[in-house]
Amino acid sequence: MQTTLKPSEPTNLISARLLGFWRVFKKNRGGLIGFVMLVSIVFVAIFAPAIAPYDETSASTTTISDIYQPPSAAHWFGTDDAGQDVFSNFVYGARVSLTVGFFAAFISIFIGGLFGLVAGFFGGRWETFLMRFTDIMLVIPDLPLMVVIVALTRPSLLNIIFVIGLLGWTTTARVVRSQTLAVKSRKFVLRARAIGAGKGHIVSRHILPLVMPILVVQAVLVISLAILNESALSFIGLGDPTTLSWGQMLNYAFGRGAMSTGAWWALVAPGFGIVWVVLSLTLLGQGLEQVLNPRLDTHHLMPNKPTVHVDAQPPKTKSLLEVQNLSIDYVTEGKLPAHAVENVSFTLREGELLGLVGESGCGKTTLMLSLLRLLPAAGQIVNGHVFFKGQDLTALSEEELNKIRWSGVSIVFQGAMNALNPVRTVGDQIAEAILRHMPDFPKDQIPARVTELLDLVGIAADHKDHFPHQYSGGMRQRAMIAMALACNPQVIIADEPTTALDVMIQAQILELLDGLRRKLGLAIIFVTHDLGVVAEMCDTVLVMYGGVTAEYAEVDVIYNDPRHPYTQELLKAFPDLTKPKKKLSSIPGYPPRLDALPPGCRFAPRCPLAFERCQTESPRLHVIGADGHVASCHLIEASK
Amino acid sequence: MNRTRAILSKAAWSVFTILFVIILNFFLFRVLPGDPARAGIRDPRLKKEAIEVLQVRFGLDKPVINCFESLNPIKFGSCNVNPLETQFFIYVGNLLQGELGISYHTNRPVGEILSERLWNTVLLIGAGQVLAILIGVALGIFAAWKARTSVDYGAIALSLFAWSLPTFWLGIILLFWGSANGFPLAGKATPGMSSMPPLQQWGDILWHMFLPTLTYTIVYMGEYTLIMRSSLMDVLSEDYILTAKAKGLSMFQILKDHALKNAMLPLVTVIAINLGFTVAGAIQIEAVFSWPGLGSAIYEAVVRRDYPVLQGAFLLIAVAVIAANLLADLTYTYLDPRVQVE
Repeated sequence: MQTTLKPSEPTNLISARLLGFWRVFKKNRGGLIGFVMLVSIVFVAIFAPAIAPYDETSASTTTISDIYQPPSAAHWFGTDDAGQDVFSNFVYGARVSLTVGFFAAFISIFIGGLFGLVAGFFGGRWETFLMRFTDIMLVIPDLPLMVVIVALTRPSLLNIIFVIGLLGWTTTARVVRSQTLAVKSRKFVLRARAIGAGKGHIVSRHILPLVMPILVVQAVLVISLAILNESALSFIGLGDPTTLSWGQMLNYAFGRGAMSTGAWWALVAPGFGIVWVVLSLTLLGQGLEQVLNPRLDTHHLMPNKPTVHVDAQPPKTKSLLEVQNLSIDYVTEGKLPAHAVENVSFTLREGELLGLVGESGCGKTTLMLSLLRLLPAAGQIVNGHVFFKGQDLTALSEEELNKIRWSGVSIVFQGAMNALNPVRTVGDQIAEAILRHMPDFPKDQIPARVTELLDLVGIAADHKDHFPHQYSGGMRQRAMIAMALACNPQVIIADEPTTALDVMIQAQILELLDGLRRKLGLAIIFVTHDLGVVAEMCDTVLVMYGGVTAEYAEVDVIYNDPRHPYTQELLKAFPDLTKPKKKLSSIPGYPPRLDALPPGCRFAPRCPLAFERCQTESPRLHVIGADGHVASCHLIEASK
Repeated sequence: MNRTRAILSKAAWSVFTILFVIILNFFLFRVLPGDPARAGIRDPRLKKEAIEVLQVRFGLDKPVINCFESLNPIKFGSCNVNPLETQFFIYVGNLLQGELGISYHTNRPVGEILSERLWNTVLLIGAGQVLAILIGVALGIFAAWKARTSVDYGAIALSLFAWSLPTFWLGIILLFWGSANGFPLAGKATPGMSSMPPLQQWGDILWHMFLPTLTYTIVYMGEYTLIMRSSLMDVLSEDYILTAKAKGLSMFQILKDHALKNAMLPLVTVIAINLGFTVAGAIQIEAVFSWPGLGSAIYEAVVRRDYPVLQGAFLLIAVAVIAANLLADLTYTYLDPRVQVE
C-alpha cells in the first residue's frame, strides 16, 4: 500500500517550502546582507582567473624593486614579499580559504549529523557512548590539538581539511541529537512507528526533513569556524606552503618583514577577506536561525506606549477604585492596532468582591494588567481613566505609580508557577515587598511578619527559607497570596488564581481569599471562568466579551435577570444545583480574534438571538434599572 | 541526585577525560607518520653509538606498548617484556612524577620550560577574560534593556563584527597601530628591567600587556555581549519579572535583584565551554606579540619541530582547560538552587 504514495509529492513540497522560506527570509535584513556578502565572495572565487589582473604564478620575473610596492594603478593592493600582486593573490586566496571551509565543514556536519541522529533516534547504549564521547571531545581544546596533529603530519591542504573536519563536529552532534529527540516524539513519527514503518523509512522520510534546517544553520556556522581555524593554522606556520590561502598570505607577510617595512597593504587585504567571509556566514546563520526559530524579542521592562489622554476628568464616584471608559489597543509595527479592550467602566467599593467573567481571550487579563499599567510593550491605553482613591493612575509618572503598586493595589497572577523568582527563597521575596513599601517597618521584625503572612495562608514557618521549586503548585499560589497581602493593600486583583490547581486546593484558596476579605476589609477583583464561585462569593459581576462589557450588575441580578444573551448562554452552560434536571448547553464557536473583530456586535456571530442590526452596528451600553445594571445589546433598546 | 554525588561524578568524568587526553597524546606522537618521536635524534652527523645513547636518554629503546607490534616503530628486542618497561607506562609513570620529557631543542626538562610560561599565559588569559566578560556583560545588559532600539542594534552589529575578526589578524593590526604610537612590540618586559624595583617591573609588564590584552578583549567581548543579551531577554520576559514590576520595584532594582543572577547562570556554562576557544586565541596572540607563554611555546615548538615541548604544552593546556571546566561546572551547581534537587 505504501508504495502507492505519489513520488512527485515530496519534491513539490520541498520547493514550496523553500519558496515560503525565502519569502520570510528576505525580510530579515541581517540575513540578507550576509547572503549577498557570501554570494559575492563565492563569485570572486569562482571567476578568479577573470578577475585577478595577474596570473597566480607570475613570480619568475620578480626583481628586488618589485617587493612591497605600495598600492598603485598597476597593483591595486600593492605587492607582497615575493613581489606578487596582493590583489591577485587575494582573489585566488578566496578559492583556497572557501574550499577548506566548505570541505572541512562537510566532514564535520556529516559526522556530527550522523552521531546526533543515531544517538537521538536509537537512544540507549549508543546514545550514552556517543554523547559521552562528544562531551570529552568538547572539552579538549581544539586548536591546540589541530596544531599537534598537523605539526606531526605533512602540512598539506588535504591534511588540514581532514584535521579541521574531524575535530569540528561536536556542537553539531549535540544540536542534532536534541532536535532528533524533539522530532521523534511528534505525533506523525509515533504514528509511522505504530503502523510498523521501517527505521530507515522513518529517519529518511520523517526525521531528516525536520532536522535538515537545523543542520543547514549549523553548517553555516561550522564553515566560518573552519575558515578561522585554517587561517590560524596557516598563520602559525602549519599551512600548505604551496597554496596561498589568506592565512598563508598573512603568514608570509608577517614573517617576512611586512611589519618592519610598513607594508600594511600586504596584511590588510587577506585579513579583510577572512572577516568578510566569517561575517557574512555569521549574519546568514543568525538570519536563518531567526527565521526558523522566531522569537518575540520583547520583555517586561521595555517602555510601554505612552497613554493617550483625551481629557483629564475627576472621578465621578467616591469609590475605592473607579475605571472610566478604559480602552486598550495592541499596537504592532506594520499592522492595524488591535482593540483588545474597549470602553470598559466599573467601580469597586471597600470590601467589595467583583467577579470578572468571560471566556479566554475576552480581554480580562489585559484589563487587569492595565489598571497598574503592567501591559506588555505593545499595549497602549488609548482612552479612559483609572482612579484609585481619587488619583488618576493613568496620569501618574512611573515613580509615583511604583508607590501605589503593591501597597495600594496588588496582584495574584494567573498561574503562579513562574510568578515567583526561582533563585530566591519565598520568604525573601515577601520580605522584599515590605522593605520596598514600608520603610518604617522595623527591620528586625520582618522575619516575624513574613512568618505571620505565610501562616495566614496556611504555610508552615519552616517553609519560609525554601525555594519556589520546593513548593507544590497550591503552596506557590498561596505564597503568592501571602506576598500580595504583605503591604496591606486595599485592593487585590486575583487573576484566575485557581486555574491549573485541583479542586480541593481551589476550594481552600477561594475560602482563604473570602476569609481575608471579611477579616481585613479588602476589595477583591476576582477573574474567573467559574460561575459557581461567582454566585457563591461575589457582590457584583462584570461579564466581558470580545474586549467589551457585555453586562455589569449585582450578582443576584446577573443570575436572576440576565439581559445579555452572552450572560444567558454562559449561565446555561453552567450546572445549577436548584435545577438538577436542566440540560447543560455550550456556546458553539469561539470568541473573536482581536485582529478580526466582526463589524457589528462582537457576539453576533455566536448569538442565538442575533438579528440584522447586530451584524452592522455595535450596541451601546444600556442602563437597566436604577442599581447600576448595564448591558450592551440591541434587544434591550427594542424592549424599552 | 544529591549534590555530593553530582560533584563526584563530574570530577570522575574530568579524570576520565584527562586519561583520554594522556593516551591520545602519547599515541599521536608515536603512531602518526613521520616518526616524530625519533625526529630529535635523526641527525646524519651522529654516530651509531651516539644515537643509541640518545635513544636510551629519550626512552626510545623500549617498545611503545606491550605486544602491540604493528604500532611499534622501534624494533628492539622481544615484544614480550614487562609491561612496566614499555614506553607507555614509563611515560605515564613520569607524568605522575611531573616529568614531561626533555626538549630536543634546549635539552632542558619540558616541565621546567613550560612552568615558567604557564603563568604568563594565565596572566594574559585572565586579564583578557575578565575585561571581555565585564565589557561584554555590561554591553549585553544595556542592549537587552534598550531592546529593539538603535543602541541595541548597534551593540549587536559591533559584537558580530568583533566575533568575525581572526584573532591573530586583529593582533597584527593593533601591533601596527601600537608601533606607530610607541607601544612595546614584543615580549613581556623591557630588557634590563629585572634590576628595577618591583613596582616599576610590574608597570613595565602591564605596559607590555596592553596590546595583547586589548586584542583578546575585543575578540571575546562580542560573544559575551550576544549571550548576555539573549539570556537577559529571556529572563526579562519571565512572569516573575512582571511580579517584580507589579511589586513597585524600580527598573534598577528589578535588574539587580531579579534578573541579573538568573541571566548570568547560562553565562557561567558558556565561559566554561569557551575555555578551549580562549586558549586558541592565546596561541595566536602570543605568536603575534611574542608573549612568552604556552601559546608561543607551541608556536616555537612547531617551528623547531621540538616534539616533547609540543606534547607537553598540549597536555598542560588540555588538563588546565578540563580543570577550569570542572570548576565552572561546580560553580554553576553552587549558584543555581534548582540543581541540588535534580
